[in-house]
Amino acid sequence: MFYIHQTSCISPQQTFRDIDINTLHEPVEKKLFAIEPSYEGIPAGVLRRMGKSVRMGVGATMPIFQNYPKADGIIIGSASSGKDDCIKFLNQIIDYDEGMLTPMNFVQSTPNALAAQIGLLTNNHGYNITHLHLGLSFEFAMIDADMMLHENPSHSYLLGAVDDISTHNYYFEDKGGWYKKEVISNKVLYESISPGSIAGEAATVFLVNKTQTASLAKVLAVDSLHSEDEMVLKEKLQDFLKKNLPAGEKIDLLLTGENGDHRLMKYYSTCESQLRDVTIARFKHMSGEYPTATAMGLWLCCEILKKQNIPQHMIKKDASISNYKNMLMYNNFKGMQHSFVLLSN
Amino acid sequence: MTGMGIISAIGNTVAENRTSLVEGKCGITPLEMFPSKFWGKIPVGEIKISTEALKEKLNVQEHGITRTTLLALHAIEEALADSQLTNTQLSSFDTALIGASTVGGMCLTDEMYRDSQKDTPGSEYLSSYDYGAVNMYLQKRYSMKGAVNTIHTACSSSANAIMYGARLIRSGRARRAIVGGVDSLAKFTINGFNSLRILSPEVCTPFDEDRKGLNLGEGAAFLVLEKESDVTGKKIHATLTGYCNANDAFHASSLSEEGEGPYRVMKDALSNAKLDAAEIDFINAHGTATENNDQVESVAMLRLFEKVPAFASTKSYTGHTLGAAGAVEALYSILNLTGQELFPGLHFKKPIPRLGLEPVQAHKKTPLTHIMSNSFGFGGNCSSLIFSKA
Repeated sequence: MFYIHQTSCISPQQTFRDIDINTLHEPVEKKLFAIEPSYEGIPAGVLRRMGKSVRMGVGATMPIFQNYPKADGIIIGSASSGKDDCIKFLNQIIDYDEGMLTPMNFVQSTPNALAAQIGLLTNNHGYNITHLHLGLSFEFAMIDADMMLHENPSHSYLLGAVDDISTHNYYFEDKGGWYKKEVISNKVLYESISPGSIAGEAATVFLVNKTQTASLAKVLAVDSLHSEDEMVLKEKLQDFLKKNLPAGEKIDLLLTGENGDHRLMKYYSTCESQLRDVTIARFKHMSGEYPTATAMGLWLCCEILKKQNIPQHMIKKDASISNYKNMLMYNNFKGMQHSFVLLSN
Repeated sequence: MTGMGIISAIGNTVAENRTSLVEGKCGITPLEMFPSKFWGKIPVGEIKISTEALKEKLNVQEHGITRTTLLALHAIEEALADSQLTNTQLSSFDTALIGASTVGGMCLTDEMYRDSQKDTPGSEYLSSYDYGAVNMYLQKRYSMKGAVNTIHTACSSSANAIMYGARLIRSGRARRAIVGGVDSLAKFTINGFNSLRILSPEVCTPFDEDRKGLNLGEGAAFLVLEKESDVTGKKIHATLTGYCNANDAFHASSLSEEGEGPYRVMKDALSNAKLDAAEIDFINAHGTATENNDQVESVAMLRLFEKVPAFASTKSYTGHTLGAAGAVEALYSILNLTGQELFPGLHFKKPIPRLGLEPVQAHKKTPLTHIMSNSFGFGGNCSSLIFSKA
């Protein structure tokens, strides 16, 4: 259990400054690109050398760092950070036939580059780690933060996630059948009955600690599962709620990672059928699909808790709940990975 | 720690690795297992078994399985047999698998290049390039339902996988954790380290004044960690008593002169283990044999220890196995404890001037209680583990 105190998110929607999540920004050719700010406060020379994921990640961290310069460590989830530089270095190897290559792409290709860069720019010598287990990268970062705070109750951590759409990375996923063949608007994403989703990207950062006062949200529990069997999912979800939802409490909002891929609907239906009298909302039409999309989902949960208002375009089923208190976020990645996040105000 | 398994340039099993360490037998030879401009030229720590032979030996028939995954499977099978975990235990909700790899499926450098182009058909390896692909395969093979995660802190990755697994157990999230790391040799990393000009043209000489850089290696090592209260009656190899992760926050690919990161992790791992510096009997150093690492690691050891304990780098046997290095060297540290013996560091001639530190240079039986294992990586990611006699 830990508390979220500050949030920052650079995403395809207006989440960074002048937040407006009621207006829905649409994809360009099946890609929901992040709306990047001008990144004031990062030296231009440093900015130029950063790959996109590192740039977005550092950009999202800066407002939190300015308010809270003394975090005790940096915990990042990212499945694809550095992939773009990785492919660029690969191209160098092939194009120059293993000749004299420049090391910049190689150094930046390591997925720990964002956590390292934040450490460097903020002179943070504390705990520093990157989790990169596909669609559970951010969840294992959250569990890490939870354990760190249990071990060091007076600490605060920067907990974040980033993934970007790079040209080559897009081809891997597209060839794997994870993006739709047809061009589709995010307004009708959930009406689709074809495989695949639309691509997305974002950098999301939170400041988390054990202090209840003035917190935005309380993360009660995070858990994960690898399975393709809905019955195992059902068993795990029931067990998760039994263990973690306080007695007498009920879930008010279920936020799911439904993404328009008809192959995954059986998992979302299984999850939805486990909860009664609950408002159901979705967010992948805002974020697009990418491995750490749940970080933006968590950011949205914090917004909803704070404003007690859910944008109409997110709602799947409205249970007319007057006060949103307990929320469950369920996500499925490629039919293989499931995650559960339980939070409360 | 109730089980261990390893495959490296100096042996396919724990027993073979120990024999090589006792005999001071180096596994570094000119590159020969895959075509590259560096073939026959640069020395590397290769495992002399072809990918096809590994597949056959491990009875792997699925498509898209890379050498990295096969090496991991080879080591993990040995670790599981050693700890005698049952299939029911393996697939229960409270058994975790935490692995690390910095190369993953990128060992297939040429295939990955083709798949990254717009108009080529996708190969069988499309989903194998991901760093998490190794653990996704292992999860499926053993029907694991517990936490399965992949960690990346560059060359200290598998030290952090060990820590994460231990913390899952300490926090009650798991009862047992299979932890470790793997990396295979790849054109990608050879060219990467070559572009940084830190590959040695000769066999590496850790902590030697005239060291010329590192040799890359490949390998996999996995350990089975279990909750203390569950292991009554079982053979216990060693206990993980302390650990720390901290950042040097100095440069993307080199360590600060005063070794702030290395100093912090060694110091805080000691306090985590509730030990005094003088209680460390041996340090398995990161010791890559680059100009920067060995200088900085020595400085940090001299800062922390009034009298620097016996130390050596086993990278002089295996080369630098990158994402596997933390786990390979943790396992060697455990062998120090189980055999109550020190293994010689190889190829050392003259100490670094003004520092005067000399690694252990001969095999020696000696009482050992606490051993420290260091791992440092790009991005300033430093880690230190302490293993103690069971």
